[in-house]
Amino acid sequence: MRVFPLRSALSPEERQLRHRLILWDTLALSSLFAIAVVLFFITLALFHSFSVHRENLKLRWLARGELALDAGQPQVALNDLRSALAYDTDDKQIQIKLAQALAAAGHTQEAVAYFNTLLESLPGNGPIHLELARLAAKQGQQEVAIEHYQAALDGTWQGDGYVRRREVRLELAQYLISQQRDEQARTQLLIAAGNAPDDAGIEIAIAGMLESAHDAANALELYRKALRHRPVQLAAIAGAGRAAYELGRFQAAKQFLERAMNHAGFEKLPAEKQASYRNMLADADHILLLYPDANLPVRVRAMRVLGNRKIAQERLAGCLSTQPAVPRPLQDLASQWKQLPQAIQVAQLERDPQLEQTLMQLVYQTEIVTAQQCGAPTGNDALLLKIAQNPEAVEQE
Amino acid sequence: MKPPELTQSELEKIAPSRDERLFLVLSIFIGVLSGLLVVLFRVAIEWIKILTLGSAPHPGQYRLLIAPALAGLLVAALVQRFFPAARGSGVNQAKAALYIYNGYIPFRTVVGKFVTSAIAIGCGHSLGPEDPSLQIGAGVASAVARRLNLSKQRLRLFAPIGAAAGLAAAFNAPISAILFVIEEVIGRWSAAVLGSIVLSAISSVVVARWFWGPEPIFRIPPVNLHDPRELIAYTVLGVVGGFSALVFSKALGYLRPRLRLLPRWTYYCQPAIAGLLVGLIGFAGFPQVMGPGYEVIDQAMHSQFTWQLLFALGLLKILATTLSFSSGTPGGMFAPTLFIGAMLGASVGAFERHFFPHLTGSIGSYALVGMGVLFAGFLRAPLTSAFMVLEVSGNYSIVLPVILSNTIAYLLSRGLQPVPIFEVLTKQDGLHLPSMEEQREEAALTVEDALHPVEVPVFPGNTPLQVINEALSPCLIQLWDGSCYALKADELVSLSATLAPETPVERALPPDRVPVLFPDMPLESALPYFERWPLLPVMNRASKETIEGVVTLEDVMRQYQRR
Repeated sequence: MRVFPLRSALSPEERQLRHRLILWDTLALSSLFAIAVVLFFITLALFHSFSVHRENLKLRWLARGELALDAGQPQVALNDLRSALAYDTDDKQIQIKLAQALAAAGHTQEAVAYFNTLLESLPGNGPIHLELARLAAKQGQQEVAIEHYQAALDGTWQGDGYVRRREVRLELAQYLISQQRDEQARTQLLIAAGNAPDDAGIEIAIAGMLESAHDAANALELYRKALRHRPVQLAAIAGAGRAAYELGRFQAAKQFLERAMNHAGFEKLPAEKQASYRNMLADADHILLLYPDANLPVRVRAMRVLGNRKIAQERLAGCLSTQPAVPRPLQDLASQWKQLPQAIQVAQLERDPQLEQTLMQLVYQTEIVTAQQCGAPTGNDALLLKIAQNPEAVEQE
Repeated sequence: MKPPELTQSELEKIAPSRDERLFLVLSIFIGVLSGLLVVLFRVAIEWIKILTLGSAPHPGQYRLLIAPALAGLLVAALVQRFFPAARGSGVNQAKAALYIYNGYIPFRTVVGKFVTSAIAIGCGHSLGPEDPSLQIGAGVASAVARRLNLSKQRLRLFAPIGAAAGLAAAFNAPISAILFVIEEVIGRWSAAVLGSIVLSAISSVVVARWFWGPEPIFRIPPVNLHDPRELIAYTVLGVVGGFSALVFSKALGYLRPRLRLLPRWTYYCQPAIAGLLVGLIGFAGFPQVMGPGYEVIDQAMHSQFTWQLLFALGLLKILATTLSFSSGTPGGMFAPTLFIGAMLGASVGAFERHFFPHLTGSIGSYALVGMGVLFAGFLRAPLTSAFMVLEVSGNYSIVLPVILSNTIAYLLSRGLQPVPIFEVLTKQDGLHLPSMEEQREEAALTVEDALHPVEVPVFPGNTPLQVINEALSPCLIQLWDGSCYALKADELVSLSATLAPETPVERALPPDRVPVLFPDMPLESALPYFERWPLLPVMNRASKETIEGVVTLEDVMRQYQRR
């Protein structure tokens, strides 16, 4: 038995042919290899040149698209960005821009679908959630919008994530304010204020939004914080004046508004705003003249109380005369006035602080009830009504 | 140096294993060369597109009308004058090389296919580069194999090997390419060729990925089945795909032969007119239908269009591709098929998302399944279509919708259009190539079909000759080890004459035994044995001693004649 098979019995010619065949096959395979190598380098050169050209085209179309988007030509941007994307289908920047262009061009449905698809490949992406929130807001889908805003806040942001999150939070707050969800807006604004750097501009912006969300107290706090920065910004002083006025802190409002008017930039404000601040200051002045401040001399305060009593009684009388059938609250009010002495002297009041207080309370109550029953007051009644909202605040700083 | 001029028998003698070894080595070379050529082919298409249609074709540009029309004229002249075999898609040409021309594809055809397809597709004709890539690969394989003086059988097999390499590089999906070649070109699994096909496909994909990267042709969004009720929408997609495939097939089957019947001089202007009409569609507002449209598929997958626009694009692509392909412009139908499928799929998905937002998964899932649906319905390659979607998406969670939609589309298309499109085209070209679908559907006869109960006596091996002799007929002797011997009457007579009557029959029998047949074996497997044995016992697979029945030559012939 043979362990190794012997070579087949080939004749010398056959062996020679065999050698020639091996040589030929080796040469053929070598030439194939050489062809493959040459073809590879040709392909590489052409491919490189092609790739560079594609990259240039991509950048060119992207730049055009961005320009068109910034110039408010979303339809043009849409075409340009689609062209850019054709040269690099994986470029997320172009994809997001394209979806933004879709949204800006009014293709809301496509934009939402596109952003949703992008979101599936980039889950938790902050900018995409933000765009989806804006689109949902545009479509009136309040809950979806808030959900996406929240997801944008929790999502990932590249680079300036801290700043972008604050911007998103402020945008969310703005949206909540527009939807009359002031409580939620306040929460967001307070978080934003708590996380914000010590920057007057940001503080003023947040304070302004807090005012819109009917949170004058926190707005005033932020304005005051902004006022600590130098140079003092007119917006901070005026804002503080507004907020103080809104809170019924007329003493403080007067001070802020006077400062605002003395500020160099005040004259540059639109005339309407200037007039508004002047009216506020005038009101504050008048209110402080009506208000029986505890720090005033006793006599002066008693005289103010009596003056306010007269104003309130006249207001009540006027209101009663317009009513064909006297409503219960007005009847109660009238009976309360009757229970008090008809003629009160200044000296009597000077001696009786309790009476003074009772009278002022009835004055405030009269202004509130008559405003409810007979409509908004004017003149001194209107000012007394403002004091009536929060009498203790008038003197607060 | 001249190659040694040797006949196949001489080669067999001096280098018996040469063919086998070269076969595998050459498969790798073919893969690499095909991959490089396909990369160049696609680069050429893109360059031509940028040069002729501009870097961003938009509606209203006159170049959209001019470029495809002029390209049509040029391509027609090249095809008619220099490269007549470059006409058409390329799949049938690869099949013809395998079944008719002994694996021969002239290298001139490769050059012609490369040049004319690149010009046509690059200038906006609604055709794709995959089928030409397949033919380029097959041509390269043929050219390489011819140089090495391989046997005719081997030479013939190189065409599908190259085809797989070309297709794999074009698709960037080796499994789909391998399956397609097996399903549509070769028609059956063959161990001899499978290894080489895999080697060449993988080599070409490695090369293609070296340049293009591992990503598929289009970005695949996350795919999922959001809600089981979505399967209703996928069923609708299967039906839509089945009917669309039918419309597409019918349109091609109607227009192409009619254009070919026109006078020969019109062949020079048919592609130009087709190009002009396709350009008109682009000019009028739908430039997306021009060219292969991969970027549009990508956009559809990423929800950039409304369902109305998607549906319109799908229909317009059917029209544009019918015009381009019927005019004889070289180029393939794979990309248009994928385009139409993606548009229709995304359209169904976007429709559902619009009207049933709580039920819908991503539109990309529908687009992806839609591609498979058209592939199954139009190209009639159900296995490839399913694997293509899975391979391209890399996500097996989509398998259920894919199988459901593809099956519906395939069955619908097959029911309404019994002849697959590749066969329709083959017949239009006057070729007679085997139908892979028919081959797949053909029910093979088994031994069981010819089986009849045992009517001859069966004796154990220790039975005395005298007892058997009394039966006076052919009989079966079952031996101790379960094997059988079919004893003929004349053998019995001869044994009885020479041996004592009490001799056990097993001692008297020659050493050979009847072959073991089982009922499920192909009927043809019984044929070689009837010269020696008059009848063959068919055994039970569970119990080798149990004879299920017997078959005779007459039984077998009767079964074949019944067909």
